[in-house]
Amino acid sequence: MILLLVQGYVVWAQCCTSGNPFISDAEQPALQSRVLTTSLAYRYSHSGPYYSRDAHFTELPFQEIANSNYTELQIGYGVTNWLTVLSELGYFINKTLETPGIDSYKGYGLGDAALYLKFNAYSNSRLRLSISPTIGVKFPVGMFDQEVDNVQLPISVQPSSGGYRYMANLFISKGLGKIALAGFASYEYSQLIQSDNFYYKYGDQWIGAIYFNYRPWKRVILDLQIRNEYRGKSSRENEEIVESSGYDVLFFTPQVTYAFKHDWYLSAYGDIPIYKYYNGIQMSFGYAVSLRLTKKIDFIAIQARHKANKSSK
Amino acid sequence: MKKIYLLLFIAGVSLWACSKKNDMTPSNDIKIISLTANFNPVMAYDTTVITVEASGESLQYGWVVNHGKIKGSGNSIKYSACQSCIGHNTITCRVFNDTGEVSDTIMIRVTPYHPGKK
Repeated sequence: MILLLVQGYVVWAQCCTSGNPFISDAEQPALQSRVLTTSLAYRYSHSGPYYSRDAHFTELPFQEIANSNYTELQIGYGVTNWLTVLSELGYFINKTLETPGIDSYKGYGLGDAALYLKFNAYSNSRLRLSISPTIGVKFPVGMFDQEVDNVQLPISVQPSSGGYRYMANLFISKGLGKIALAGFASYEYSQLIQSDNFYYKYGDQWIGAIYFNYRPWKRVILDLQIRNEYRGKSSRENEEIVESSGYDVLFFTPQVTYAFKHDWYLSAYGDIPIYKYYNGIQMSFGYAVSLRLTKKIDFIAIQARHKANKSSK
Repeated sequence: MKKIYLLLFIAGVSLWACSKKNDMTPSNDIKIISLTANFNPVMAYDTTVITVEASGESLQYGWVVNHGKIKGSGNSIKYSACQSCIGHNTITCRVFNDTGEVSDTIMIRVTPYHPGKK
């Protein structure tokens, strides 16, 4: 069974953030050999109010809203029983920042691409325990200098992150009767973005999550996730620290997955922040809702069925 | 064979990610006379108007900023920046036509936001 499908969240947390939202399927164990999964995800996210530390900041004389519609194609393949290769490509239908009645900025287009290697470090079906570490890199293939009328859009609505990002994570799951518990820890390092007129480095990101997975019926899977996301402060020219950057947000993510026939899965989930802390003054994360459609193909099982059909004839 | 395809895919994506735009050629027919801001420094979430004066025929204007937002287009734009853009930010103005382009920069200092202060 697919233990947990993707949960995601949008890094709208700090000003000037660009690139894909972090939708990761690291919350799955590694695939078995010659298993292919293809999925298409859609995500709508909406910003929240400005925050200073852990409270609303209401002293700005205007209102600013950000939202995005994002899609992502992800393909995973179990090369061997211990190695899974995953790739993903993001596309923004829109990435919008607006001050109602005053101005509006809209970016769109290809975001980043990513490549991950997930390892099956330990798997015991009797104990229902698996440990899967992953390493990966994100490539800034999309636009980072999108313009409208020869004016470059703000960085926060550029579809690409503008720089490489390197990540490593660890996923551990343990089945207990009808329930499964899982833990996830991730670290992401952002490369310095340096171009003719831009010098910026996003802070390191740490994520920790625990999941509760329950299958009340054969085709219905419920997941509840509590996730903490921490990002350090960014730095800019002359190694200057950007004080109004970096955050610590605690999310609650409920998810329901329905398993159709022939290994099709449809997931719906939402991201709800339950605690937010932002350095300085920043626009905060509001909420996000997502859908993901996945198709799984087991080539070994298909081959076995063909052989069985042939021998029965 | 599968490993070769994987390596080619990674190489292709990396090269695509590293590709740069072609730059226009410099023009001797365009001259930037001035590039000014009506307020400098400017407080976070406040705005300043930046205007370029240039000589040449059928001029067009392009604007790029490393931190903050630009509203408008043409030879006069409004610049604003949020709290995370505090510091010295560089705005680059390109003036171009069929003969090529010239550019100049102006540095705007963004100060911390204080409610009720201008």
